[in-house]
Amino acid sequence: MAANTSEEISRPAAGAREVSRRRRERRFFPYLALIPAAVFVLVLMVLPIGATIYHSFTNWDGLTSTFIGWRNFSLLLRNPIVSQIFLNSVIFLISVPLILFASLVAAVLVYEKVLGWRLFRFLFFIPNVLSPVIIGVLFSTFFLPGGLADQPLRTVGLGSFAWLSYPWTARLVVILALVWSSFGFGMVVVLSAMATIDPALYDAAIIDGTTWWRRLWFITIPLISSTLQFLSVINVIYTFTSLFSFVFVITAGGPGFATTTVDYYTYLTTFENGQFGYGAALAVLLFLIVLVLTIAQIKLFPQREVQQGA
Amino acid sequence: MTSRLSRTFVFVGLCLVGVSTVYPLIFMALNTMRSTTAFELSPYGLPTHLNLASFRTLFSQVPFLSSILHSFIVVVPAVVLATLFSALAAFVFTKTPVRFGNVLFWVMLMIMFMPGIVVLLPLYVEVAHLGLADNFTPAILIYTAINIPYGTYLLRSNFRAIPDSIVEASRVDGASWSRIFVRIILPVAKPGIVTVGILTFLNIWNELFISLVLLHSPSDEMVTPTLAQLSGKFSTDIPVLMAGLLLGAIPTLVLYFVTARVFIRGMLSGAVR
Repeated sequence: MAANTSEEISRPAAGAREVSRRRRERRFFPYLALIPAAVFVLVLMVLPIGATIYHSFTNWDGLTSTFIGWRNFSLLLRNPIVSQIFLNSVIFLISVPLILFASLVAAVLVYEKVLGWRLFRFLFFIPNVLSPVIIGVLFSTFFLPGGLADQPLRTVGLGSFAWLSYPWTARLVVILALVWSSFGFGMVVVLSAMATIDPALYDAAIIDGTTWWRRLWFITIPLISSTLQFLSVINVIYTFTSLFSFVFVITAGGPGFATTTVDYYTYLTTFENGQFGYGAALAVLLFLIVLVLTIAQIKLFPQREVQQGA
Repeated sequence: MTSRLSRTFVFVGLCLVGVSTVYPLIFMALNTMRSTTAFELSPYGLPTHLNLASFRTLFSQVPFLSSILHSFIVVVPAVVLATLFSALAAFVFTKTPVRFGNVLFWVMLMIMFMPGIVVLLPLYVEVAHLGLADNFTPAILIYTAINIPYGTYLLRSNFRAIPDSIVEASRVDGASWSRIFVRIILPVAKPGIVTVGILTFLNIWNELFISLVLLHSPSDEMVTPTLAQLSGKFSTDIPVLMAGLLLGAIPTLVLYFVTARVFIRGMLSGAVR
């Protein structure tokens, strides 16, 4: 009897607790769910970026640091190697139109859906899943004196050529490796844009008797122009942020500093020479460049996220 | 007739691009089977006999297999954590009414392309200071953090494609947020989540800078720094070099071959933008 009443009383109480637990879950779950991402991003990215910015104004050897104002930056501006590496980054931008061209060619060919097009689409993406380290070592093997790249020279009677020993040919090898490694991604992005083009446009153009080239030039390219712009900006960002591995394994920045990029030079000054403050100032310049490009990318393509298909 | 001709041209074009894509890989694979002298005599044709000395030399001189193991130790947890945390954050950003969520998302957008070196200078010093140099944990945590912004960005646009009405209906039925996340979002968005997971795996496995700076003793070195140093060691012994490259490439190649169907569809549906 007594047990019975207590059960009857406790049941609605447990129900109320259940309801309030549920209410609390409704209110707090979203915040709880954000905590891991927020903590990781704030502690391991935002704080370190702040620390890098702070240390760019100090004389820092990794242990002690003293505030020295803008001195690192004024030293940077007067360092001829620094102007060389920024010039290199600009030169490496040559890869952007090449990547765009290769991506567009691959996408347009695959889009025709001729025999084996799925296999080709599969194959063209393979370089994208390989590490730049692997691609870099492979390409540097091809461009060693007497390597694969010398085969055509040999057949016309010219001997071997030390591609990696001259500034422009060394840059060419890095650019080729970058283009080879990233055109598959560009192809996929272009293909996903082409998938949104109404096939009726092509049918109408074919009935009007236009040539394949005119359809490419007057229908396809205008309709995917925003995607092509998006790809250009993304690849400009990549030339500033992802050449480290290629340069590390293909040229080690040489000959001289002809292929040294900002991140590679930052690596050299900090981890090889121990000048952490100076390195931090270089990293801040890189941070600003990438930040400006990221903002440009977001401002130019705000509609990107809205037009997603499922 | 003209259409058949132009289709032939397209096919020839595809073959040309295909050969330039595949040939370097075939070169790599075939030359692992040659002896060093056979390579110097003729590096380009088919190997006349199978010679696996290159692998033996590689394993006897470099702790190569353990470097692959180290990569797995770091990459697998980082991929799981980064993808899970990105999915949770993307869910909150798209389906729940959270204030300040936009601020966090905006911060993620700003830093999503940041190169590792910008964050790694102070982190490296801190890791060394804490006596955690040559420990896998900092590498796992840093890789996780670095991959969260882009993962969240991709999954956010992915989750947006899920109609809010489904979520609303379960809310009315009294489902909790965690239940909605596990029972609705995860199954519906599975292809997108898998695609982002694969991209994250490729990013971390293939990355050189962070692995090079954080882990450099033989007992913890990952595969990319090991490969990067091979070319110095075996610059005159190309078959050994190629054996290293092939083994280093196999994990990502296998992942791509096995998941290509889902992965390519995920990429084409705009998961990458």
